[in-house]
Amino acid sequence: MSEHQGIFTHHATQAYLAAEPEMKTEQLSDRLWTVSDGHGRSIFVEGNQGVIAFDTFGTPGRARAYRSAVEQAVPGKSVGTVIYTHDHLDHAGFAADFAPDATIVADEMTAKVIKLRGADGQLPVTQTLSGRENRVTLEGVEFLLLNPGPTHGTGNLSAYFADERLLFSCDTILPNARYGLMPDYHLANFVRYMRGFLELDFARFVPGRYEVTDRDRFSKGCDYIEAMAVACQQAFIEMVPIWVHDAMAGYAKGALGDRFGGLDGFDEHAGLTAIRVVHHYLMGGWGLEDTPTPGILLADQVG
Amino acid sequence: MTETTPAEAASDQAPDDHCGIFTIPGPLAIQSAWRDITFEPVRDQIWTVSEGIYRTIFLEGDTGVIAFDTFSTPGGARAYQGAIQRVFPHKPVHTIIYSHDHLDHTGYAADLAPEADIIAHDLCDRVIRARESDGQLPATEIWSGERKEYEIDGLRFELLYPGPTHGDGNVAAYFPDSKVLFMVDTVIPGVGYTFFPDWHLTPYVPTMRRFESLDWDVFVPGHFWITDRAGFAANLDYYDQMAELAQQAIVDGLDPNDYAAVIRYSNEKLKPKYGVFFRYDEYFAMNLMRYMLHYLTGGWGIEGNMPAITTPF
Repeated sequence: MSEHQGIFTHHATQAYLAAEPEMKTEQLSDRLWTVSDGHGRSIFVEGNQGVIAFDTFGTPGRARAYRSAVEQAVPGKSVGTVIYTHDHLDHAGFAADFAPDATIVADEMTAKVIKLRGADGQLPVTQTLSGRENRVTLEGVEFLLLNPGPTHGTGNLSAYFADERLLFSCDTILPNARYGLMPDYHLANFVRYMRGFLELDFARFVPGRYEVTDRDRFSKGCDYIEAMAVACQQAFIEMVPIWVHDAMAGYAKGALGDRFGGLDGFDEHAGLTAIRVVHHYLMGGWGLEDTPTPGILLADQVG
Repeated sequence: MTETTPAEAASDQAPDDHCGIFTIPGPLAIQSAWRDITFEPVRDQIWTVSEGIYRTIFLEGDTGVIAFDTFSTPGGARAYQGAIQRVFPHKPVHTIIYSHDHLDHTGYAADLAPEADIIAHDLCDRVIRARESDGQLPATEIWSGERKEYEIDGLRFELLYPGPTHGDGNVAAYFPDSKVLFMVDTVIPGVGYTFFPDWHLTPYVPTMRRFESLDWDVFVPGHFWITDRAGFAANLDYYDQMAELAQQAIVDGLDPNDYAAVIRYSNEKLKPKYGVFFRYDEYFAMNLMRYMLHYLTGGWGIEGNMPAITTPF
């Protein structure tokens, strides 16, 4: 049987798409679990009748492994709702393999991008949300879905569980410095929006990859991106060759090492992250998402 | 951290040193630095200027000059103005045409020719107005759609918007009488620039191939040197090959977030073929990373997922 292939066009991807990794599940409260395949991470919640799952993982095989992990953690209840955190295939690309009959909830802009993309295996959104804050009650579970503005990807929703004092936000703040090229991050307002979450009473933070962490490390993640922005501007005006990895890596490590050198992945990733951030200041940001009053260009052309 | 608004930062500098979107206090030395700019004729009334990395064109009209873009800093914009005045000392820049929205090409009209008319595509101007960057002036004349003919000061040319390629509202200038095409931050000699910043990869190649339906034999890019139809086509072929290479790298188990591993993979498997490309050592691995992330994430935003228009111009 042929696997759903996202947007791959290469003939030899089937084995990659089919591989089912071992999933590690951890119970965070009576009804809330987190699950990881060693790269990505997500959460799922036990409702009265079924399971509310966030995202699908990034291949058909991983989606099936995710489903098995849910079935093991919550036997006898199937996934009735999938909530897409954002549009990217590596998190929300394979509902067709995870829970093909589920209701799929996402931000309205996520829905538009997914509709345009038409990726094989990424099911369209069946229930859209809009606005900055949505109080959701599903199967006896209450939580907030929050979209403060463009952060990463399109229509990125974070979930806040007040009873658990837990925040889940996918591909935004990480518990380390492994940001790489910060793909599809919208830097103009990123730290301001993420710091806004600190107004919520949360003690635990679940990122979309790597390990579960806490409020302090979430805050330090905001500090890191903010400090990187200052260091990159300084490198630029000091005429560091901003397009050269080693030059930017050296500058960023020198400027930030004392304060952030203890973050996992700092030495390997600081140069790439610096190259990405400094180009924000060179180019002025990318699209309406990166402006003081953000929007999304051409969104009105997608029904 | 001490941050200031762009306007506050600007107030710490000389009045002519606009600060773009920098938020740290001045003085911002790189903004003021003079750039040595060379100029040469292309064909007919078309001239090209470059400071070694960036390139643009300007046109000699009957009474004045039409300048495309502004260079990347206030100092660069002033040097650009100086170059134009050396060629045409009695002809002022009365019109600026923006190629796209990015500050490194169109950020400093306030320093190049603050009184000039500014023409931009609607999709470009929307971003510029929302950005409110210090020194980047909004357009005074906006056009929309995919092509518009202009006749200004005795000069005849067309502006063409092919669809999303790089940045927002990125347009080409086509000079049918001279058989010259000019477009910025798309086809550039050598491998791609760093990690293809703000490139819309899904529609990019088929959208760019639309220009092959026009009659031109000189292509002026926004960086480095002038090329021809063969160079233009070969550059687009590189993107097609990169798409295949990136998918194969994912199948091979390469982690796109492990830069050292991507460099090793590139040098072992791909350098024999691509190592002769201009700037291979600087950017090829980053090119591969970006394309891998494209296939893993699925394309970025509305523009990165729009189906390409493929009808010829």
